[in-house]
Amino acid sequence: MTRATSFLALLLVFLGSGTAAADEPAVDVAPASLSFDGPGTRTLELRNPGGAPLVIDRVTLAPDASGFQLTDTGPRTLQSGERVQVAVQFTPDARRQQAFGGLQVHAAGQVRGVPLRAGSSWLLTLLIFFPLVGAALILFVPTGRHALTRAIALATSLVPLAASVLMCLRFDRAFSQATGNGGLQFIQHVVWIPSFNVEYFVGVDGLSVTMVLLTALISTIAVLASFGIDKQVRGYFALLLLLETGMLGTFCALDFFLFYIFWELMLLPMYFLIGIWGGTRKEYAAIKFFLYTLVGSVLILLAVIALYYSSSPTTLVDGTPARHTFDMVKLAYANDWEGKGLSLLGFDFTKVVWVAFFIGFAIKIPMFPFHTWLPDAHVEAPTAISVILAGVLLKMGTYGILRVNFAMLPLATQWAATTMAVFGAINILYGAFCAFGQRDLKKLVAYSSVSHMGYCLVGMAAFTRSGFNGAMLQMFNHGTITAMLFLLVGVLYDRAHTREIDRFGGMATQMPRYAALFGFAFMASLGLPGLSGFIGEVLVFLGAFPVYRVITLVAMSGVIVTAAYHLWALQRVQLGRWNESWRDRTIFNDLTARETLTLAPLAAVVLVLGFWPLPMLQLVDNGLMDLLRHVTGLHGAGTLAGLP
Amino acid sequence: MAVSYSPILVAILFAVGFGLVFLALAMFMGPKHETAEKLAPFECGSEPIGSPRVRFSVKFYQVAILFLVFDIETAFLYPWAVLYRKLSCTGAMYGLVCSGNVTFFGLTEMVVFLAILVVGLAYVWRKKAIGWG
Amino acid sequence: MLDNAHSLRAFLPELIVAGTVLAVLFVDLLARRPHVGRAAALTAVGLVAAGAATVMTMRADGYGLFFGLIARDPLADFFKLLFLATNLLVVLISLRAREATDESAAEFFALTLTTTAGMMLMASATDLLTAFLSLETVSIMSYVLAGFRRRSRESAEAALKYVIYGGVASGVMLYGMSLLYGLAGSTSFTAVRLACAHTPAAATVLLAVVLCLAGFGYKIASVPFHMWCPDVYQGAPTPVTAFLSVGPKAAGFALLVRFFGGSLPAELVGAPAPWPILLGLIAAATMTVGNLAALAQTNLKRLLAYSSIAHAGYVLLALCAGGSDGTRAILLYLVTYLFMNLGAFLVIIAVADAGIGEEIAEWRGLGRRAPWAAVAMAIFLFSLTGLPPLAGFFGKFYVFAALLARGGSLMVTLAVIGILNSAVSLYFYARVLKAMYFEAPTVDEPLPLARLHAATLALLAVPTVALFLVWSPLQRFVDSSLGQWYPAEMRPRSAQLDRSVKRSSVQLANTSATK
Repeated sequence: MTRATSFLALLLVFLGSGTAAADEPAVDVAPASLSFDGPGTRTLELRNPGGAPLVIDRVTLAPDASGFQLTDTGPRTLQSGERVQVAVQFTPDARRQQAFGGLQVHAAGQVRGVPLRAGSSWLLTLLIFFPLVGAALILFVPTGRHALTRAIALATSLVPLAASVLMCLRFDRAFSQATGNGGLQFIQHVVWIPSFNVEYFVGVDGLSVTMVLLTALISTIAVLASFGIDKQVRGYFALLLLLETGMLGTFCALDFFLFYIFWELMLLPMYFLIGIWGGTRKEYAAIKFFLYTLVGSVLILLAVIALYYSSSPTTLVDGTPARHTFDMVKLAYANDWEGKGLSLLGFDFTKVVWVAFFIGFAIKIPMFPFHTWLPDAHVEAPTAISVILAGVLLKMGTYGILRVNFAMLPLATQWAATTMAVFGAINILYGAFCAFGQRDLKKLVAYSSVSHMGYCLVGMAAFTRSGFNGAMLQMFNHGTITAMLFLLVGVLYDRAHTREIDRFGGMATQMPRYAALFGFAFMASLGLPGLSGFIGEVLVFLGAFPVYRVITLVAMSGVIVTAAYHLWALQRVQLGRWNESWRDRTIFNDLTARETLTLAPLAAVVLVLGFWPLPMLQLVDNGLMDLLRHVTGLHGAGTLAGLP
Repeated sequence: MAVSYSPILVAILFAVGFGLVFLALAMFMGPKHETAEKLAPFECGSEPIGSPRVRFSVKFYQVAILFLVFDIETAFLYPWAVLYRKLSCTGAMYGLVCSGNVTFFGLTEMVVFLAILVVGLAYVWRKKAIGWG
Repeated sequence: MLDNAHSLRAFLPELIVAGTVLAVLFVDLLARRPHVGRAAALTAVGLVAAGAATVMTMRADGYGLFFGLIARDPLADFFKLLFLATNLLVVLISLRAREATDESAAEFFALTLTTTAGMMLMASATDLLTAFLSLETVSIMSYVLAGFRRRSRESAEAALKYVIYGGVASGVMLYGMSLLYGLAGSTSFTAVRLACAHTPAAATVLLAVVLCLAGFGYKIASVPFHMWCPDVYQGAPTPVTAFLSVGPKAAGFALLVRFFGGSLPAELVGAPAPWPILLGLIAAATMTVGNLAALAQTNLKRLLAYSSIAHAGYVLLALCAGGSDGTRAILLYLVTYLFMNLGAFLVIIAVADAGIGEEIAEWRGLGRRAPWAAVAMAIFLFSLTGLPPLAGFFGKFYVFAALLARGGSLMVTLAVIGILNSAVSLYFYARVLKAMYFEAPTVDEPLPLARLHAATLALLAVPTVALFLVWSPLQRFVDSSLGQWYPAEMRPRSAQLDRSVKRSSVQLANTSATK
C-alpha cells in the first residue's frame, strides 16, 4: 500500500464512508476467517495475488490455538494466481464448546494470521451494547413524551437482565481453567486495533458472572426507581443506559484496553447524572467524584501501559505475532512477572505496578483513606444513582483487585496481603463509627457501604476458600441490600424532603408496609442470620480468622457497632412517638405500587440467598478456586496450554 | 591574504578623505551669516527639542516600507543581471560564449519575481497607500 | 538532493499556496467590492489543490530540494497535509466570524495562506537558515493576524505583545544558531550534527541549544516562553486564535522533531546528551504551569490558551521520549489536537455569533439553550482531557506509551507527572461543562445555530469520535510518515529495538519462535 493510497483511506474515514483497509498482503486468504458451529472441517484457500511465484514456507496453528487440527504444513511454491487449499478440523471437548485461535501462514518473510473461531458467543456483546441502542433510541423520542422515554428505558434495561439470567442458567458451574479457555465462558474474541495489539475480548468466569447479573438487576431497578424524574427526562435515561453499558462492559471485558475504556466510560454519565439531577451541592459532589476516580483511573492507565510494555511476545487471537499483549488472561497466566526481574523507579516492578492498580481500585471501593468522595456523591446524587453507585460501582473496585492485582501479580499480592487485611478492618470499623455519628440518613447508609466493603477486603486478603467465597458473596449481597436501603431513604425523602434522622419518629404508625421493608433491609444490612448479609460476613470471618487472628477479631468487633447504628437509626425513624413537627400527616402515604415493585425483587433475593446461598456459591466457586491456586502457589509461566 | 583586502582600505581612506576635504572647504571658503535658526541642530525638519512622544504620521512608515520592497528588488536585480548569461545557458560557458542551448529560465525567474512585486504594487495602489492625501 | 530548477516540481504544493495568496489578493483588487464567499472559495480551492499536489507528488522516500536547504520527505508531507487541513478548517470557521472577515476578508485569507506556506517550509527545513526564515515568516504573519481587529484595543495590545516577545525570542534563537554555525562552519542540520558530535566544547553546544529552544519554545508556547500566549489568544480574533493554537504550534513541533532528531547528536563528548532531561524539565513545567493557571480563568479563550500551553507540554513529553515511538505519538497527538482544539474554538465562535460572550458565566444553561453546540463542546473538552471513547484519549495514550516504552526513572516520573496533570485539567474543563449543564440559564429561549456552524461543528466532532472507533488508518498513515526521512541519518530509531537487545535470551528465543 503506497502512502498516497493510505492517505486516501484516511480521508475516506474522515468522510465517514471508509473502513480500515489492510496492508497489501503477500498472500490472499479466502475466507478471511473460519467459523465453526460444532465439530467439523473447513477449508481455507490460499492464493498468490502477485505476479511472481510465491513460496509459502509453512502453515501452522498459533501456539495457543487448541482444539483445532491442521492437515497441511509443508512448504510449497505457488505460481501467479495459483490456489491451494488447507483443511482445518475442529473437535470440541465435552465441556468446552468454544475455541479461539489463529492459523499462521508463513510466506515472503511475513506471517499472515487467519482467525479460527468455534462457538463464538454474541450473548455478552448483546448484553453490553443493548442499553446503548436504547440510549440512542431515546434521543429520537419527541420532546415531552416522558412516558414513552421511560418505557423504552425500562424495556432496554430488561433485555440485559433477561440475558444475564439466561447466562447464569446456562453457565457451566463445573467449568474451570483446567477445562480450558482460561476458565471463561460466553467468549467473543476478535482483533480490534491490530497496530496496537488491542482486541475485543469479552467473556465471563466465576469472578464476573454474579457481577453481571447484579449490574443488570440493579440497573433495571434503577430505571424503575427513576420514573419520578421529570427534569430533562430524555437526557437522564440516555445517560443512565450509557452508564449501564459501561458497567456491564467493565465486568465482561478481558482485554485491558477495552476494560479501561469501559471503566472510563462509566465516569462521564455518572458525572452528569450527579451534576444535573443531584441535590443542592451537586456541582461539588460531581466534580469531587469525577476527580477522585479519574486520578485512580489514570494510575491504572499508567500501570496498564507498563504491564503491556513488559509483557512477553505472544500471538493475537487471529494468529498474528505480537510483541506485547493487552489480553488480561495472558497477562495473568502467560507472563511470569516476578521472574522477569524488572524494576521501576528503583523499586521492584511488580510492587510498584501492584500499588498503582491497588490505589486506582481502592478509590472506587472506596477504601480508607480514599473514601471521602463517597458520602458527598451519595448525599447529592438522586436516589437511583445512589443505588447504582453503591450497588454496582463500588464492586468495580474489589472486582478489579481480584481480576488484576490478584490474577496478574500474585507474589506482590502476597506481599501486600496483610496490609490489605488491615485496611479492610479499618474500613469496617471506621465506616461503622462514622455511620454511628451521622444525622443524615443517606449519609449513614453511605458510610455503612464503606464499612461493608471492608469485609470484602478482609475476605480477599485471607487467601482461603471461604474467605474468597465470602468476599464474592458479600459483593453481591451488599449490592442488593444497600440498593434497598437507598431506595427506602429515597422513599422517605420524596415525601418529607429531608433526610434528617431527628426529624422523624414513629413512622411505622403512618407507613406500616414501608416500616416493615425498612426493618427488613436494616436487619439484612446488619447481618441478621437468615438474610443474605449474614452469609457473606460469616464466610469472610471463617476464612480470615485462621490467617489473621488479631485483625479478624478487631474487624469482628465492628459487627457490634454495625448492629448498634442500624438498630438505633431504625428506632429513631420508625419507632417511638410521632414527631409532631409534621403538621400534615397525610404527606406520608405508604409505599406506592411502583416503589413496592422496586423493593420487592431485591427483598426476595435477599431472603432467598439468606437461606439458600448455594446456587450463588456454585456459580463463583470454580473461578475463585482457580484464582486462589494461582495466587497462593501456582504462579509464573508454563500454564499457557488451554488458554483461549 | 591581507593584500587582497587592500582595495577596500583604499576605498575607505578615499571616502573619509573626500568627506573631510569638502567639510574643510566649506568651513574656510563658505560665506557665514549666523542666525539662531541656523545655529540650531538640524534634524530632518522636525523640532529638535520637545517631547519624545510626538505622533509621527503613519504615512512615513508606509513610504519607508514601500521603499524597502523596491530597494530589495534592486538588490536582487543586480546579481541576477551579472549572472544572466550563465542562467540562460544549459552548457558550459567559454568567456561570453555559451556552448549549449540558450533558454529563458533566467528571464522567467525574474519575470515571476517582478510579477509578484507588481501585484504588491497594485495592491498598495488600490488600497490608496501611495500618495500623501 | 535536487538543484533549483529540478526542485520546483517537488515544491509544487508551496508554489500553489503562494500563487493562491496572490490570486486571492488580486481578484479582490479587480472586484468592485469585497466579497467574503469569493475569497474563501478561492482560498479553499487553492488549499485543496495544494493538498492534491502534495498527495500526487508524495513518495515513500525522502530527498533534498534546493541543494538540501529543505527536505521533501514523508514527515514534511504529513505536516503539509496537516497544515493545509488546518487552514481549510479555519476558512470554514471564519466565514461567519465578523471580527475576522467583515472588513477585509481577502487580506485575512491571504495572511493565513502565507502563514501556511511558512509552516510548510518550517516542516521541511533542514538548514538553520531555512528554519529561521520560515519561522519568521510564520511569526510575522501571526503578529499581523493577532492585530487584525484594527479598531480593537485588545487586538492591538495582543499584536504588540506578540511582536515584542517574538522579537526577543527570535534574537535569542538567532544567537544560538550563530553559535551552532560557529561550531559547524555550515548551516545544514547534518553538518551541525556532525560538528556537535565531535566537538569537545559540550558547554557551547548546550548553550546554543538552550538559546535555540527560546525561539522554538516561543512558537509552541512552552514555559518559560509562554507569557504572550494568554494575552494574544484572548485579544486576537477568535478564528485567528484557533489558527494560532493549532497551526504554528504544530509547525514548531515539526521543526523541533527535525532539530532534535536530525541536528543534535544523541551523545556529547562520549556521554549521553542531556536532551531528555532538558526537554523533560520544560515539558513538566509547561504542563503544570498551563494546567494550574487554567484553573483560575473565567474567560473561555484565556482558559483554552492555558490549556493549549498544557497540551504543548504533553507533546513535549513525547519529544522527550524520542525515537520512533515518541515521534509517532507527536504526530498522532497533533492530528487529534487539530480537531478537538479547533472544535472548541468553533463552539465559542458559533455561540458568539448568536450573541453569547466569552466569559464562562455567560454560558450558563447553554445545554438547554443550544443543545447541539453544548454536546459538541462537551465532546471536544472531554477529548482534550483525554477520556475515552474520544480521539484525545489515543493521543495521550500514545504519549504515555512512548514514555513507558522508553523506560527508565526519568521517563516514568514524567509519565506520572503528565498523567496527574491530565487529571487536573479535568477540573477546569469541567467548569465549562458545569456552567453549560448544571446551572440554570438566565434566559430560557433557545439559541439558533447558524447552519454553516452546525455543519462545521459536525465536521470536527465526528472525527473526534470516529477516530477513536476507526483508529488504524490514521496510525497506518502516521507510521508511513516515520521512515525514510531526508537526510537519512535523521530517522528516528525505535526504542523497542534498542531494548530488545537487552532482553533475556529466553524471551528472544520466544520471539523467534512465534515469528
